[in-house]
Amino acid sequence: MKEIQTSKLLDDIKKAGLATLYPEDRIRITVGMATCGLATGADVAYKYLCEKVKNSDYRISVVPVGCIGFCQREPLVEILIPKLPRIAFANVNKDKIKKIFENLSENRISSISADWRYDEDDFIIFNKKRELCNGALPDEIKSVKLYNEIPFFKKQLKIALRNCGYINPEDIGEYIARGGYYSLCKALTEMSPKEVIKEIKKSSLRGRGGAGFPTGTKWEICRNVKGDVKYLICNADEGDPGAYMDRSILEGDPHSVIEGFLIGAYAIGATEGHIYVRTEYPLAIERFNKAIKKAEEHGLLGENIFGKGFNFKINVSEGAGAFVCGEETSLIASIEGRPPEPTLRPPFPAESGLWGKPTNINNVETWANIPVIIARGGDWFAKIGTEKSKGTKVFSLVGKIENTGLIEVPMGIKLEEILEIGGGIPEGGTFKAIQTGGPSGGCIPQKLINLPVDYEKLAEAGSIMGSGGMIVMDERTCMVDIAKYFLEFLKDESCGKCTSCRDGLHEMYEIVKRITEGRGIDGDIELLENLGNVVQVASMCGLGQTAANPVLSTIKYFREEYEAHIKEKCCPALVCKELISYVINPELCSGCTVCAKNCPNEAITGEAKEIHKINQKKCTKCGICISVCPPKFKAIKIVSPAVT
Amino acid sequence: MNMGHNGQKVGAALVIGGGIGGIQSALDLADSGFKVYLLEKGPSIGGVMAQLDKTFPTNDCSMCILAPKLVSVARHPNITIITNAEIKKLSGEAGNFVATVRKEPRYIDEDKCTGCGLCMQNCPVRQIAYLDKEEEKIELDSEDRIKIEEILREYQTKKGNLMPVLQRINATYNYLPADLLRYIASELDIPLSQVYNIATFYNAFSLVPKGRHTIAICRGTACHVRGSLRIQERIEQKLGISDGGTTEDLRFTIQTVRCIGCCSIAPAVRVDEDTYGNVKTNQVFDILRKYK
Repeated sequence: MKEIQTSKLLDDIKKAGLATLYPEDRIRITVGMATCGLATGADVAYKYLCEKVKNSDYRISVVPVGCIGFCQREPLVEILIPKLPRIAFANVNKDKIKKIFENLSENRISSISADWRYDEDDFIIFNKKRELCNGALPDEIKSVKLYNEIPFFKKQLKIALRNCGYINPEDIGEYIARGGYYSLCKALTEMSPKEVIKEIKKSSLRGRGGAGFPTGTKWEICRNVKGDVKYLICNADEGDPGAYMDRSILEGDPHSVIEGFLIGAYAIGATEGHIYVRTEYPLAIERFNKAIKKAEEHGLLGENIFGKGFNFKINVSEGAGAFVCGEETSLIASIEGRPPEPTLRPPFPAESGLWGKPTNINNVETWANIPVIIARGGDWFAKIGTEKSKGTKVFSLVGKIENTGLIEVPMGIKLEEILEIGGGIPEGGTFKAIQTGGPSGGCIPQKLINLPVDYEKLAEAGSIMGSGGMIVMDERTCMVDIAKYFLEFLKDESCGKCTSCRDGLHEMYEIVKRITEGRGIDGDIELLENLGNVVQVASMCGLGQTAANPVLSTIKYFREEYEAHIKEKCCPALVCKELISYVINPELCSGCTVCAKNCPNEAITGEAKEIHKINQKKCTKCGICISVCPPKFKAIKIVSPAVT
Repeated sequence: MNMGHNGQKVGAALVIGGGIGGIQSALDLADSGFKVYLLEKGPSIGGVMAQLDKTFPTNDCSMCILAPKLVSVARHPNITIITNAEIKKLSGEAGNFVATVRKEPRYIDEDKCTGCGLCMQNCPVRQIAYLDKEEEKIELDSEDRIKIEEILREYQTKKGNLMPVLQRINATYNYLPADLLRYIASELDIPLSQVYNIATFYNAFSLVPKGRHTIAICRGTACHVRGSLRIQERIEQKLGISDGGTTEDLRFTIQTVRCIGCCSIAPAVRVDEDTYGNVKTNQVFDILRKYK
């Protein structure tokens, strides 16, 4: 393999990469094969496609790509026929593939029911668009909706996710074809390290891991600290439950992180980088390792990169399932093999980090933004977003929402617009709250739906930006139960170093637990608030300082729900097990016996064609009866307070 | 203790042993107006009670009783604590004893030390104090030895090798066998206590054998909102084990995990390497049936 030493060689690879991205002599079929896709059957679809291609008369290449973000509609398959728009098929299964192949010929596809099409592709690094179709569109393709007519994609602007779902993550050529490593080349050959930092500072990029510290300033501090060896760390310990953008980037576009890393290393003067990935992301680890190997083969990692005497290597460290390791000092301890308990700052990692050397830590999404900023300039980036929060942010829109998936939107977008992207609440539910920032964040209620999303506004509302998880909740979500859920999570994940966090969270959990079990007493809410404040001020690291947010914010906005649990022993959302009962409505029950047959605890009795009854003593409230009761009867309902 | 001119006892008392009994005696004496020297052989006072969880017969929290007394002793103007010390000679009679005490050196300025523990964490040679390698040689059977040597060869010289070594052992054996932990502690020159500290900290490690298949039930927020608790309860009920447990036939281990990043297809369950999305309560057995 030839090492890339000049931009000329980069151009050669780009040309080859474009030929595989937009082949002229064959059809290109891509399958979204990130973990989310695989879980919904993308591997089955991929194998079946390969089989079909083998028996096909046409020249077709089947390519696995990352996740395009629309996870709700996976598996996603896209077909690019030369000179035609690329068309996308959602929820693909074997039957659908069979049908596609029946209608596919060498240069056209007829009578299709595609979900959307792309007439052009955005090359954000080059600030160029590439027209896909050549000449007039055939009618059957014209009838397919355009990509940006789909509500889910309409308001999105993809910077960090620019390549996810477009390129084969294991093919460095396709990454280079879309502008990859050009920014590195630019930084190394045209810019001094100080200019790189200046550009990043100009962009006002803030850390995407949660706290939002300005990246350029962080780099500058680390650069100015004296030291012979400096380290970079990529924090891919995406512990926030409900957020998975880092996983998606590592699985779909690992080279963007490597390139960001390299640019950062050049700016700061580091020679070695570590990426710390959660063990729960096996595919991400595999793809990233492959990407490192490819980059090394091409001379983009290693010694004398671009012939500029700049050396850099990357090591992969794997986590082992501890939430606190996302905190920078415990992450460093974990890499070193020490017990991953946070340590006091200062000294900050920029002064004394990994192995006591100056260390700069940024998370995956931050690193992925870097190449675009270098290519397009800090000023361009700073034009996007709000006054204090620039650029775009990736959110994982999940929970009780129609279109779940990853979205990348400009900062300052209103929550309402995000809900529009999500397509509203499924099954006719009504929106109640949105939880942001994971266990460190809070719940934002319906009345703040006009809130623009940026670091400051979210903090004002009692939540945080966090790594970007957005969990939508409807009226069937119990806020006390959510508080209990987060407390359980946090008390388990607390490392135990600070008493306030270790014991305070445990006590708060016990109080919330007794409230959800109907044993709450007057004064519990005030006690929770008190304890929460103590945990906030008396804990050392970010985990403890923010651990009370979920409780405090739900109390702030949903106090009446807590009161209903305590005073009336009633769970308005019908979630808390001890406070609800499943009952059969005698007027609707037709005696079909389905529920009785499916009940795992034989709690339902009744003869065929007679009204059934649930024995409350035997019922474990598993909810199976309600899911099997035929929709035409809907005879089972949940009531609260519980009946005996 | 001398007899005062009015027949009252004045002066100092020596309490030997800094356990709960010694602490209480010291406090009572000091409160009665005596100067008390509290002598303890170990490096710190507290004794056995500090190591207990509960006390008999009331089941009270042991530390909750002891801790305030520890603080009182340390703060009491009339009590001087002498730790790391033993009594060498005692002579005299009631009211007038002379005690000779030998104090072991501590090599630390006790006036300045705040007890933060950082020196212990950073001492490069501390393992020498704990481990006599000749005596601690751990015998492994040949099969284990080959596997472990291969892992060690790869990481022995690298910095920060404990985590990857544990991960490899966990991947090979599906858990961390105790004798292997002792073996690597000695080979890597890391105190066994630290190896255990790491091995028990992370959710991904287990010290007991796990089943052939691991059912990872995602308990992330998105999964929680969409009902993963019901799924967990259903699986637990059917297999007759709870979270972290293993079935008797070693077929399944249930392990809840904090988000596997499949929030868009919540609730999600991962069995070994296969991820299942949008799982329904009454589907779980169709999934589990595939794994023998």
